[in-house]
This record gives sequence, structure tokens and C-alpha cells, in this order.
Amino acid sequence: MFWQTLVDGLAVGSLYAVTAIGLVLIYKTSNVVNFAQGEMAMFSTFIAYQAFTHWAWPYWAAVLAASAFALVLGWAVYWLFLSRLSRAPLLSQIIATLALFLLFRGVAGAIWGNQPFSFPTAVQPTVVRFGPTLILSTQIITFAACLLLMALAYALFRYTRVGLAMQAISQNMFAARLMGVSVGRVYGFSWALSTLLGAVAGMLIAPTLFLSPTFMEGVAIRAFAAAVVGGFASLPGAAVGGLLFGVLESLFGFYISPAFKTTFVSLVIIAVLYVRPGGLFGPRTVKKV
Amino acid sequence: MFLRFEQVSLHFSGVAALSAVDLEIPQGGIFAIIGPNGAGKTTLLNCVSRFYTPQEGRITFLGRDLLAARPYDLASLGIARSFQNVAPFGRMTVEENMLVGLHHTIHSSALSQVLRLPGARAAERQARAQARDVMEQLGILEHSQRYADELPYGVQKRLDVGRALVSRPKLLLLDEPAAGMNEQETAELGEWILGLPAITGVTIVMVEHDMSLVMGISQRVAVLDFGRLIAVGAPQEVASDPAVVEAYLGKED
Amino acid sequence: MTNAARPRALAATVALAALVLPWVVARLGPAASYMLNLSVIFAIVAIALNLLTGFSGQISLGHAGFLMLGEYASALLTLKAGFPFWAALPASALLVGAIGFLVGLPAVRLSGNFLAVATMGFGLAVPEVMLNWAGLTHGSAGLMPKSPTIGGFSFGSDVAYYYLALFCLALVWYICATLLRSRTGRALQAVRDSEPAALASGINAAYHKALAFAISAAFAGVAGALYAHYVNFVSPNDFSIQDSFLFLAMIVVGGLGSLPGSLLGAVLLTVVSQLSTSLGQFSIILTGSVMLLAVLFFPGGLISLARRRRPTPRVPAPLAQRSAAGGS
Repeated sequence: MFWQTLVDGLAVGSLYAVTAIGLVLIYKTSNVVNFAQGEMAMFSTFIAYQAFTHWAWPYWAAVLAASAFALVLGWAVYWLFLSRLSRAPLLSQIIATLALFLLFRGVAGAIWGNQPFSFPTAVQPTVVRFGPTLILSTQIITFAACLLLMALAYALFRYTRVGLAMQAISQNMFAARLMGVSVGRVYGFSWALSTLLGAVAGMLIAPTLFLSPTFMEGVAIRAFAAAVVGGFASLPGAAVGGLLFGVLESLFGFYISPAFKTTFVSLVIIAVLYVRPGGLFGPRTVKKV
Repeated sequence: MFLRFEQVSLHFSGVAALSAVDLEIPQGGIFAIIGPNGAGKTTLLNCVSRFYTPQEGRITFLGRDLLAARPYDLASLGIARSFQNVAPFGRMTVEENMLVGLHHTIHSSALSQVLRLPGARAAERQARAQARDVMEQLGILEHSQRYADELPYGVQKRLDVGRALVSRPKLLLLDEPAAGMNEQETAELGEWILGLPAITGVTIVMVEHDMSLVMGISQRVAVLDFGRLIAVGAPQEVASDPAVVEAYLGKED
Repeated sequence: MTNAARPRALAATVALAALVLPWVVARLGPAASYMLNLSVIFAIVAIALNLLTGFSGQISLGHAGFLMLGEYASALLTLKAGFPFWAALPASALLVGAIGFLVGLPAVRLSGNFLAVATMGFGLAVPEVMLNWAGLTHGSAGLMPKSPTIGGFSFGSDVAYYYLALFCLALVWYICATLLRSRTGRALQAVRDSEPAALASGINAAYHKALAFAISAAFAGVAGALYAHYVNFVSPNDFSIQDSFLFLAMIVVGGLGSLPGSLLGAVLLTVVSQLSTSLGQFSIILTGSVMLLAVLFFPGGLISLARRRRPTPRVPAPLAQRSAAGGS
């Protein structure tokens, strides 16, 4: 059973990792923790649901439409709200994303209602056997899709023009500005990309969790946990953190108690932050005055 | 010795910020620490304030090992400090800023303060009277109920030094007091600082960029460059020291 | 009227109005009375949160968790340990305060964003624990604490309970106001404005941060106990993460770092969210919109419109962080 638990943990952990990478992208560039990340992903997933179920679009068309919607949504949220708060105190920025959390949840509830909906999978779920361990084809798709997205996000951040601009900004905003980097555009881009990552995670996990305005709440807190473990500023850290959390939580749920999973996650967050305030893989920062 | 650094070394992830600094600062007067940007001046001050802990070496104050103290112990040892960013408690009134400076001299528990027990009230009254005196001396009494952030720059600067001085410390650390000031303001500030040791008996250790201020008011000067102490002496001696000249000229393009 | 006399006269007017209010509101029907009492109870939470966030500079996204702990503490103490309400109320405050201290311990080392994440985790965990620790809490079936009585008099009516809640609100307000004017209150605010400078002034920043958490949690616990014995039912569904956000919205809309602002925000948002519950989802849409409008257009809160300009930080926060991280 251990291997089964491990496989299940890795599959769901890869979703946490992708969502966490979205959080880290925004944090790294604009120093904002987007508490609405999960709700924006939820909303985008509902767009795919709307296209698939009500407008009878093919699955892939619905997914693509929702992805495009997520890009625009992230960009719009940045330009409409967060860009106006770039000089505001941290607290105002946090509160703005909390307000967005409530708005997206409320609007989704108003449009689609609060009962859970089923959401289609990318492929017909079939079972692959490895001895006593069962792996679902959807798990494999999820894992592969997440690895691909993570690799793409990393390559983008590392090797492309816009990625280099993001790095420059995260290291020194003023120097980056002087060198002609359009800070606003890069922020808008990282919000768009981050929302897309969240949306993909949402669409991959919706078949399991069922779609409702609150369905991403649990995923979001685990993504926060993953990002915290990774130090909130490291993309590979967030990826490892997400997988680690998926596995740990899965083991905890199986061997100890499935009912107290969120409590376990919270305790791990608090414990990690207490021992290493910069996260496990985060930089050991020296407090400067 | 009043304040002594022995072989103090500090590095941040491999980069040496301070290398084997040996320095003795006598009691009384004004002692300045100068050096080019990034020479480690403020870092040295932060070691005394215990925001940083050097990996090697000792810092003693009146024979006492400072490295064994926590940052918030220093006030009661008689070490106060001002900061480069003015009026750190911006959303508190001028009077409250002064009372924060007296925090360690008021001995009452949170509970006795809420219950307004006689002891707590007496301590509070005494602190307010003391704060009032110092505000009067600094000429900021008229602003006592205004928020620190609302005051003009020069007044904020005086307020911050006043907050550090209000509890009558033995040692006052000033971090770039003239930062952001024009020539005339700097001259006025210098005159004011120059008078402080005589009036209050405090010893001042000052980190400063502005050479005219340093040369004008300090008795002794230490020069840091790339974390190394390259000269100590009277201002005129130091200014003509070849190593110092090189350190500064080397920085200019 | 002199400058000093004006706020005093205003305070007296508000206090007098508060005493007459339930009789006026009762004429509007039981729903209005319920809303009034809820406003008073939530005003306690808002003051508690403002003490932590507005005055001590620490964010909490988990105050609904403390509120719920207060509910359960008081319900369990009266139902299972046989405490009278009058003993259970302060005992709940102490208990929740102690838990707040423990939650606040990591806070000592955390900056804004990380603290928000940690407290959010706490806020999500509390309902889960209450739901699943069924042996103690009866799970989703909940508990039914009774209305408090004194002698033969029961506080079962809306009007009677209003005065009980109002008394607690007044007490919490008085304690906070006194504390904030004292050495401890100044230390909390000094740590908020600049931790290094506070340390250099001899303030033990870690202790004061944890203390702020403990006091704030204790007051939220009082509000929870009051709520439990008012509605006479306690369940894991009473408060959620959304309510934690609602409490933050109260102090932001009313005014961070202001006691009257907390009261104003609490009443306003309680009324808004209660009036719109019949409109389903529009309740949180309205709350979210009000929050967003407040941070975008009134960063000082409503209270800033009524009094002299509250200074805003000179150096924009992100800028200050960058330079602090890059300085020598």
C-alpha cells in the first residue's frame, strides 16, 4: 500500500507544485502573495465547464478557451487592481487579493450555484498495474502535464527575454527599470502566466474534487504550503515542495488520519516557518537594517 | 576601555563585510567612522546594536561582552542609537516617540498598566515629565501631539536623536545623521551634535558620509575600506594619510 | 465647544444612543435585533483584530478560528464541565488567549506575507478539528449552550443579550484604549513602525508580538463565547475563512489603527453582509467590493474622512523592502 499512497501523492502533489509555481512567479516579481490564486483558477475552470457542458464544445477546445481566459484574467486583475497598489503598504496588497478571493467566489456562486458539478477528464480513465500498485491513466496525464508545465515555466524564466526581465526585476527593480525593462508589462505577464498555471491545475483536479466555488480552497492552502517550503522565491523549491506535500499528506491521510489533512498541512506550515522563517529551500537571509 | 572591537570579522555568504577590525573608542566626545560606500561602516554599527553577530572576534562595552547581549538589552546597558531612515515611529506622536525612548526605564507590567495601578501610573507620570523636559530642550514641545510623519524633515531628525537621548545613554550611535540634508541643515545639525557630549555627558559614535561634518565636529576618526580598518586618528592626520587618500580617490571616476 | 470637549461630547452621545438603540431596533422586528447584537459581538472581534493588525502591524487571516475556539470553549465548559456562563466566559478568554500566544510564537519570526499564510492555515484547521474531533465536539451535530442567567433572570431575549454584549464590548474597548496609551501599547506600535528601532529602544519585539496575538485571540474568544450563548448553537459551520476576511474588511473599511474605526467597520459590514444574505452570493460579492474599494480609494478607512489626515508612510513599502534588502 505504501507505493500506492506514494503514487497518489505524487499525482496530486504535482498539481500543488504547478499552483505553487504560479504563486512564486508573482511573488518573485512583484512581492505580492496572491491569496486569490485558487479562486481565479476555480473561476477559469468554470469557464471550461461552461464551454464543455452548456455550449457542447469539445474537451480540448474548452480547455484552450479557459486557458486563454485565465491569461486575460490574470493580466486584467493586475492592471485593474494590483498595479494601482504597487506603492501601497503590504497590508493593502494582501487585502486586495483577499477581496478578489471573495469576489470570484461570489460571482462563481451567483452564476453557477454552489452544488458540486462533475468535470470531464482529458482521457478515459484506465488502470495501469505495477504489481499491487494501480496507476490511473489520468494520474499519468496529470503528472506529465504538470512536469511539462513546470519545465516550460522554468525554461521561460531562465532563457527567454521576458524571463530575464522577470529575473532582473526580482533582483533589482530600479536597475531593471533603468535598463529599459517595462516593469508593468512584466508584472502583467507574470500575473497572466501564474493564473494560467493555476487554471490548468484546477482543470486537472476538478474531475476528482468536483467543481464548486470552494473546490480550490484546499488546493490553494497546499500550494501555499508548498511555496513556503520552497522559500516562496524559488521555482524548483516550490516544485519540490508541492511533490513533497502531496506525498506527505497522502501518507498522513493513509497511515494516520484522513480527516485531519488540512490540520496536518497547517501544522507543517507553521512548524516550517518557525524553524526556517525563509522556508526550507529559501535563502538564509541575514536581517539587514 | 569604553568600547572595544577585537579582531571582529563578519562575512555574508562568503563575502567579507568586516575583516579583523581592531578598534578602541575612548569615553567622551565624538568619534566618527568613515569610508567609501560599502566599506562596512553601518555593518560595524549593526554589530554593536546586535543586529549582526560577527563570526569572529569580541566587542566589549565597559568591559562587558556585548556579543552575549540581545538587541533589546542594549538600551538598559546605556547604548542608544538613531537610524538612517528618520523618525522610525512615524505613526506615533512626538510624545509617544519620546516615551518609546524611555521604554526600558519604566518598570511596570502590562496588567498593572491596564488596571492603572498606582505604581504604573506614577511611573507613567514620571516618564511623561521627563519626555516633556527633553522635548522642551529640543524645541519640539509645540509638536508633541503631532504624528512624527507629519513633521518637516529636520524636526524628524532631531526627534529621532532626541528619542535616543531621552533616557540619558552613555553611548549614542548615530547612523548617517546628515543623510538627505542640504549644506545649511547639515551645518546646523553638526553644531547641535557637537554640543551634546558637553551637555549630556554622552559619547557619540557616528557613521557619516559628509566629510565636512566629520572633519568639523569629531575628535577622532576611523576609516574603513572593504571591511578593513585602514586608519585611525585625529581628523587632520587621517585626511592626509596616503592609504585613506587612495581609498577615496580610487572610488572616484 | 473646545477641541478637547468635542470628542467627549460625541462619545457621550454615542454611548447614550447605544443604550437606547435596542428598544428602537426591536420595533423593526427580530431580524433587526439579531443584526444589532451580531454587530456588537463582531465589533469585539474587529477591535481585537485591529489591536493585532492596525496597532501591532501583524496580519491574521485566521481570526474566525479564534472566534470558533471561543464558542467551543465556552459551550464545552458550560455543558460538560458544569461551569456557569459567568466563569466560562473569562475562562474561554484565557484559554483562547493561550492558544493565540502559541500561534503567535512563529509570528515573532515572520514577515507580513508568511504570517498571512500561517494564520490562514490555522483558520482552515480549526473547523476541521471541530468537525472531526467528534468525541468532544459532537461533530456536525454541534452543541447547544444555554442562554446565561443571573439569579432568576435569563438573558434569553434579544434586548437583554444586547446589554450583556454591549457591556463586554465596552470593557474590551476600555482595556484596549488603556493598554494603547501605556508602555506596552506604545511598544506594540513601535514594533509595528520599525522593529530594529524598537529593539534599539529596549523593546523585546518577540515578546510584544506574541503578547499582541494572545490579547487579540483572547478578545476574539470572548466574542465567540458571547455568540455561542446567544444563538444557542455551535457547529463547525459557524465561521469559515470567509469570515476571517470579513473581519479584516471591517478594520480596513473602518480604519486601521483606530478603535472608533473598528466599531464603524464592524457595524457597517455586519449590516451589509446580513442584509444581503437573502441575496445569496451577493453577500460576499458586496463584502469583496467594499474591501477593494476601501484599499483603492480610502486606504485610511472611513474614519480618516472624519478626522485630521492620518499620515501615510513616506517611503512606499515595497521600495523600503527592496532597499533594506540591498543596503550595506
